[in-house]
Amino acid sequence: MALADFFISLMTFVTIYSLFALGLNVKFGFTGLIDFGHVAYFMIGAYVTVFLAMPAGISSTYEGLSGLGLATMFAGVPGGDLLGWGLALVLGMLAAALVSLLVGIPTIRLREDYLAITALGIATILNAVFHNERWLFNGAFGIREIPRPLAGVFPIGTGSFQLNLLIFGLPSVLALGYVGYRTVKVVRPLSAREATLGVGATLALAGSLIFVITTMLGLVVNLGIFSLNVDNTIAFLLLVGAVVLGRQALRETDHVGSLLALVSAILFSLWYLGQPLVELVTEGNTSDLLLNLFWLYDANAGSAGGLDYDRFFFLFTLVLLAGAYWWVQRTVNSPYGRVLRAVRDDETVPEALGKPTFRYKIQSLMFGSALAGAAGGLWAANIGFIDPTQFASTVTFFAYTAVIIGGTANNRGVILGTAVFWVINSGTRFLDDFFPSEYAQQLAALRLILIGALLIVILYYRPEGMLGEQDYDIDLGRGGVSDD
Amino acid sequence: MASAGLLDAILQGLITGTIIAAGALGLSLIYSIAEVPNFAHGDMITIGAYLTLALNKPGAVPFVPDFGGLPLVAAGIVGITVAGGTGAVYELAIFRRFRSKGADLITMVIVSLGLALVLRNVVLFLVGSGNINYNTERVTNTNVELYLTGNGLSVQTVQRQAGDLVTLGEWGYGWLSLLVIVGVAIAAGVAVYRWRTDDTGFETVHLVSPRVLGVAAGVATLAVLATVLQGAPHAIDAAAWSTSVGVSIKYGVILGLTLVTMLAMNLLLKGTRTGRAMRATADNMALAEIRGVNIDRIQLVVWVIAALLTALAGILTGWFASNLNPNMGFSLLLPIFAAVIMGGITSPYGAVLASLIIGVSMDVGVFLLPAEFATYRTAIAFVILIAVLLVKPEGLWGDV
Repeated sequence: MALADFFISLMTFVTIYSLFALGLNVKFGFTGLIDFGHVAYFMIGAYVTVFLAMPAGISSTYEGLSGLGLATMFAGVPGGDLLGWGLALVLGMLAAALVSLLVGIPTIRLREDYLAITALGIATILNAVFHNERWLFNGAFGIREIPRPLAGVFPIGTGSFQLNLLIFGLPSVLALGYVGYRTVKVVRPLSAREATLGVGATLALAGSLIFVITTMLGLVVNLGIFSLNVDNTIAFLLLVGAVVLGRQALRETDHVGSLLALVSAILFSLWYLGQPLVELVTEGNTSDLLLNLFWLYDANAGSAGGLDYDRFFFLFTLVLLAGAYWWVQRTVNSPYGRVLRAVRDDETVPEALGKPTFRYKIQSLMFGSALAGAAGGLWAANIGFIDPTQFASTVTFFAYTAVIIGGTANNRGVILGTAVFWVINSGTRFLDDFFPSEYAQQLAALRLILIGALLIVILYYRPEGMLGEQDYDIDLGRGGVSDD
Repeated sequence: MASAGLLDAILQGLITGTIIAAGALGLSLIYSIAEVPNFAHGDMITIGAYLTLALNKPGAVPFVPDFGGLPLVAAGIVGITVAGGTGAVYELAIFRRFRSKGADLITMVIVSLGLALVLRNVVLFLVGSGNINYNTERVTNTNVELYLTGNGLSVQTVQRQAGDLVTLGEWGYGWLSLLVIVGVAIAAGVAVYRWRTDDTGFETVHLVSPRVLGVAAGVATLAVLATVLQGAPHAIDAAAWSTSVGVSIKYGVILGLTLVTMLAMNLLLKGTRTGRAMRATADNMALAEIRGVNIDRIQLVVWVIAALLTALAGILTGWFASNLNPNMGFSLLLPIFAAVIMGGITSPYGAVLASLIIGVSMDVGVFLLPAEFATYRTAIAFVILIAVLLVKPEGLWGDV
């Protein structure tokens, strides 16, 4: 798989899980509800959307309730299957919200730790129901034939290579450029000395990683014992250098965020552009570099290239995420959102002011669950196969980790945290290639150990997360006295 | 040949309940004294079970030299001790730091969640996700079959040996002796309870609660009389009602070990200075500190004891089910939390009682419900928990 394809599929994961985590942030970050059963609404969204969208009698191995076929209902209208699928998605969100209403009414008054364990239990039971009841949605066998919106339309292209490259390639380059511009703006507060230290540390780290990987490869292939050879020594020295430079940089700077942005920008560029650049220099092979630069353009789609379905779906989820982000931002920035935050900080205060806090909490729960349901519907369409094991309670814990890494009660932080989480969890999959395949499970476990440890470390050193709590449009003023 | 019935389900449930109780006792200590709703408790159980596996079956765990393995008892003792050490590590490396920063309940929940993720994946990393069991002798089940006939109760003990059913013993009780046995047992129980509650006053502290002593006296009398008054067996062809109860030496060991552990815990909490300090800390940490209680030491003791208890629960679970897997602890987490909340989080005795109730209702529920509901065993514990939270959120036992 080309790097750009991998990049696209990783980013699709990130956008879907960001949507999921945004829903959690509404509940946990802004209202203070510890819902450890968040994944249940993800699952309900996925199943209900698929159930509504898929036609009846879709395959002989499916023995669950027969689908309603919303996706084919509007087949006559142009873009009809998108309309039908969208309707199914909206109904899936509604279903998730309704279930959370049913769960919330008896449990939402509970103390936070009781709520956490109760929600976890309800999610576990719901998962067991979906797993065991084959008449419902085919039980453990899952659903294989999942309708995907506009699947028949793609790939699209104009038929002319140059025109395709211009239409799809130019926005790709512009998007990369825009991200670069934003990164520069974030990095700017660093002084030249800090920047040098940061760059040095990153390069040393990357170098030592490359050496370690080649060494590990040799180690595993030869089954030899770790010995003090040249590669190991260089890797070790580089690692020491990275640690020394990194510590110095962290000690001198007041802009930890800028430094981290610089480090990740360099690592990303090395990974995404550096590798093909080496190929260009050594072998004169430009294709990988161009493919990565024009990441929206897929040369293998159609006769003259174009936009393939995966890339379209990424853009589609991105648009939905942007919509959800705008919706959540509007909510938390409104007077309504201010009440939610007051409920989180001290429930007695809004209650004393006559706010029906119970209703606010239920509404927040339903809103967050609806977003999780939307993420579920997208997840099903993206992955093309769902079964109950995909919705284990670890998914909720991943979302908590993402929210806390990025910054609780910060919507931008949630997206950043989700990206960081999935880059650690999935982006490092390419490292698996350097180990024999029987170690895949070990490597997966190792990643989760890292993530669990990261969660604890972040909570200790930076409990507000990478970005901290966000600013709000409406500030509370100073003790009720207006300045103007 | 009688078939298994309600009585068998109740006994099974009691055993399940005692295993849950070992975990719930530790969780209730952590919950009330360290004030951590410990979501890593289930995975601490797994760690305890696998530590013992590493000594019992060293070949199955990497990085452990294959020395052939210790017998389960020895491995268990060493495993539980090492697990106690891990408890100290959790407290010193993680929870003490967060406590000194004044972390709130939500933070502690999520920290314990992170720890849970680490612990489970350490097991996955080292041993893998497969099912495995301890290297120990096979235990044969004995079926105690009860027949109710016109002349009284008749008992047969039956064991399957090399594929054949062998009757080991056969005896009976007449109606009169049955009446005497049950009557005297109840009378003994009530008498002991009355005797212990005689001197009720504000100053009185019972080492063992009179209710517990009463039940114990009743059960002991029942057992003694049932042995003494054994008579000739009756003809069982025309039995009006019959049932079969499976028992094995495992049941006795699990019940006995857990009982001894609980007594020891009781002695510690009520009879020692440390125990008094622990209870004071649970009541009010700041006040206890002012009165000269070394909070850090108490918390360390709590985590070590809780880890010892989880390891015991893990070994018993693995041995009872003849199966260990990395998810074994997590699947116990829900019943354990249900028991602790149901018993009232500040009361270890309530936690034990609630564990027994939950264990029994899980197994009796599975027995009573149609066969296709057997997979919802944990769900039963949960329905009870939710009902308790809605009706009586302070728990069954109240404060102790």
